[in-house]
Amino acid sequence: MSKRVFLKSLLAGMITLSLGLSVAQADNEVLKIGFVGVTSGPAAAWGISNQRSMETRAAWINETGGVKIGDKTYNVEIVAFDDQKDPKRAIAGMEKMAQEGIHYVVGPNVDDGAAAVRPVAEKNGIIYFPYAFPKTLYAPPASNAILGMVANYQSGPAIYKYLKDNKSVKKAAFVAANESDPLSQRDGGVEAAKALGLEVVSDNVTYQVDTTDFTPVLLPVIRSQPDLLVLSGVSPANAPQLIRSARELGYTGLISTETAQDAQVLKEGAGELANGFISVGGASTPEIASDMMREFVERYTKKFGEYNDESNTKVYALEYILDTLKANPEAIKDVEAFKKTVDTFEAPNPYMKGEAKLKYVGTTSFGQKRQLAVPLVVNVYQDGEFKTLFVAEVD
Amino acid sequence: MTLFKKLLGVGLFLALVLVLVPWLIERSGRWDFYYTLTSVALLSIASAGVWLTFYIGRINIGQGAYALVGGYVSAILVTQAGMNFWLTLPLAGLFCALLSVLIGLPILRLRGVYFAMVTLVLTEVVRLTALALPITNGARGIVNIPLPTELSLFGLTLIPDFGTLANPKLAFYLAAVIMMILSYAVLYRIVHSRLGHLCRSLQQNEELAASIGVNITYLRILAYSISSFFGGIAGASFVNISQSIYPSSFQVVDSVNFMLNCFLGGLGYVFGPMLGTLLLYFGWDLLFTTGKYQLLIYSSLLILLMLVLPNGLLSLRLSRKAKQPAQASPDKQPSGATP
Amino acid sequence: MEQIIANGLYLGAQYALIALGLTLIFSLMNVLNFAHGQMYVLGGFITYTVVAQLGLPFLLGILVSGLLLALMGAGVEKYLFRPVVARSVREESTMLLAAGIAFFLDAVILLLFGEKQRGIPKIVDGVFNWDFRIIMPYDRIVVGLLALAAVAAFILYMRYSRTGRAMRALAQDRTAAQLMGVDVNRYSMFGFALGAMLAGVAGGLLVSITGVNLGMGGPTSIKAFMMIMIGGAGVISGAIAGGFILGMMESVGLTVLAAYGDVTYLIIFASLMVFLAFRPQGLMGKPWG
Repeated sequence: MSKRVFLKSLLAGMITLSLGLSVAQADNEVLKIGFVGVTSGPAAAWGISNQRSMETRAAWINETGGVKIGDKTYNVEIVAFDDQKDPKRAIAGMEKMAQEGIHYVVGPNVDDGAAAVRPVAEKNGIIYFPYAFPKTLYAPPASNAILGMVANYQSGPAIYKYLKDNKSVKKAAFVAANESDPLSQRDGGVEAAKALGLEVVSDNVTYQVDTTDFTPVLLPVIRSQPDLLVLSGVSPANAPQLIRSARELGYTGLISTETAQDAQVLKEGAGELANGFISVGGASTPEIASDMMREFVERYTKKFGEYNDESNTKVYALEYILDTLKANPEAIKDVEAFKKTVDTFEAPNPYMKGEAKLKYVGTTSFGQKRQLAVPLVVNVYQDGEFKTLFVAEVD
Repeated sequence: MTLFKKLLGVGLFLALVLVLVPWLIERSGRWDFYYTLTSVALLSIASAGVWLTFYIGRINIGQGAYALVGGYVSAILVTQAGMNFWLTLPLAGLFCALLSVLIGLPILRLRGVYFAMVTLVLTEVVRLTALALPITNGARGIVNIPLPTELSLFGLTLIPDFGTLANPKLAFYLAAVIMMILSYAVLYRIVHSRLGHLCRSLQQNEELAASIGVNITYLRILAYSISSFFGGIAGASFVNISQSIYPSSFQVVDSVNFMLNCFLGGLGYVFGPMLGTLLLYFGWDLLFTTGKYQLLIYSSLLILLMLVLPNGLLSLRLSRKAKQPAQASPDKQPSGATP
Repeated sequence: MEQIIANGLYLGAQYALIALGLTLIFSLMNVLNFAHGQMYVLGGFITYTVVAQLGLPFLLGILVSGLLLALMGAGVEKYLFRPVVARSVREESTMLLAAGIAFFLDAVILLLFGEKQRGIPKIVDGVFNWDFRIIMPYDRIVVGLLALAAVAAFILYMRYSRTGRAMRALAQDRTAAQLMGVDVNRYSMFGFALGAMLAGVAGGLLVSITGVNLGMGGPTSIKAFMMIMIGGAGVISGAIAGGFILGMMESVGLTVLAAYGDVTYLIIFASLMVFLAFRPQGLMGKPWG
């Protein structure tokens, strides 16, 4: 019988433990914002840059007296859950957020996780901000997901068009990792390139994410002689190696991607071979960064030791949530109110110089406003830092 | 154990999972535990399958493959053929069982780490197949799968429509737990039948078993297909909770975890995988408040557990009844393949 | 064609070095070290720290990686694997311990070195270009040769040194070796340290080409498993052969099957399964070296 006793006491212990934890955190003056994403394992960089941006911003707000929503002032607390890039865990994370009474969650970082948490979010009245691109997440009947960044099918055409007009690119080639997100992005990119009248000379070469030598992968691609090599949905870990292999094979054309990258990683991984590499970023390039953006980078660096350029796009979600709540304090408890505000919301963008606005967009892509208007900043890498190539907007 | 004690144990366990747990959740308001415990129940069904392959002396790191196949079979039947989820569940299991006969025939001849490696590769093969096939919708996955609908027989509602239920979480939990209980009942029955004795003989010495007239090929295939059946139904059920499936829904990590669940619970005990799953899965969830040290604490505890109880958690009981011979094979068996 | 072979050879040399340590540990202790990939990553990060952060020479970085990993390997064997192996009923149980160590190292690497991809400056600049038939950067050639040198040194050591002979005896028959007076515990520990050191050296070498990030551990282990399965588990020559075969398969497969794109790896893995199903002990027959 000792097994039974053992089992029971184990279970009882676990339950009391977690009960105790949830009671201890109840506090009226705290506004909890959730994060469900990947912060361990191969894709850790994505989620960590997300979580750290949120924590940096929250600490900053709390230090300066909190955020005033309606007639109450709140301290912001970030509740983070590591889903290990496993959709099953992501559901558990979303359940946890619902349990904590959280209505606004940033994440998940990948397609399968974002799709898996949808039933939980809709059932529990949670608005979530995935960094995943499938249109089914944002188009009706779905209504609780808001895309946190610029999707590749929006940035891709803009980049290709710019390169076609300004760098006379005619032939494009696509490579992608053989996983859901990159493959979907590749298909979207190929479609966009063809629509622009570019010739797609290679679009079916894939690689395993754990590849350590990309020369064999890229050999057939380079032989098809493109002027533009698109690394679809490339992870920051693979990007420098791909660039390096392509250049070492004698490729002299342009290389681009539609995901955010980190300048330090490119510098260490590919050195000057990465010069001219085009990627999508946020607003920290010197040309357009506001003082607030600079202070954010400073605080982030102080808190965590090293800045990650991927955070340039990831600083926005929390800002949007708080500003929308300010515009309509009812939304703190009621996401339906939030959804109404989304249609009309507008506020100045504090991270960018000039007239840029925070507002919700996405009508063209999804038929409803389910996307954050993050400035589409296209960067080019040069000697250890990014320079702005052009800035565009998504509607 | 006497029959009375056995029945009492089963009764207590049923009361615990079907009454006490929902009551505790109701009282404490920790609704999120329903999903966690539902996952534990479903994952432990898949782990039960892995355990059965351990029982015939094979290290199986390929259960994720069958969970994925089962998930896709159910998802495709529900979305494209409009079938009722509850009918697709046994079909998903059967499909996996059939598939495992085809795959098992050649690979079950392997032993030890060789079998382990082939099954590990199998998981990756199935993932890549799901990415490449048109019927699985490739990288875009299958999304917007409807909730399980009503199942009725002659107008009598056997299982209500989950979409209209006030508390589908409880319904999913109860469904998963009942499935888990049935699976472990089957497992228990197998282990304590003539088939179980034969399987044990396989675990200890296949040549000897063959020489006394045991049809080892048939036995291995049978055990492996039952194992895969479990994997299939677990995968199918999961897909209907998340209402979506991607090629990455079950991958190598899952296959490895299913195996670890068995080790943690104890290879010599039928209910080992259940306990192992509970600890490994629930443990991670409970540690979520520890933030960035979560993985560090989790892995340290795992190593510590292994040092204290190298034969699994349930070996605690063993030390009490040291006089009684262990159920597991007492002698070590080399993992390397011998011709 | 020349390019494909050159690529395959380079990949093979690096794979062989990774697989060696794994197969050594397996042959000595029947332990499938799930943490091998994490040890490789740790080696890479140590070399990165020495070279990129402290500004010391590359070879010193590799040396430090090898030494630290050897120390760690010895500790892991003595304090973790030995007690568990001694008390477990079924020796496969060590897989859980190995997986626990893999998770642990993942956590430590994340806390110590962060989540970003890391790399060190190129050790040699320039690209070898033979009439566009073979294009190979010089640093790859250097690293490939260093890897081959390490493999050769290891083989010679196993063949001619006293310790090497003792380890081979241990791998062939543990009990017999013990009866003949081989100190089993000592050489198990030594073998584990050597295996971990090889992982560290491989990580250190490759950080100059491919860089390193914390996610590489698990996939590297799995790839290394495949190599030793192709060659035959626990056979040293098998691991080398397995490394080169997998390297060639990838190089040739990626070129030949490029037209079919998405299914390249599917075909590589599926043929691997078929091969193993019909040749259960890999290429090199007997499961010990």
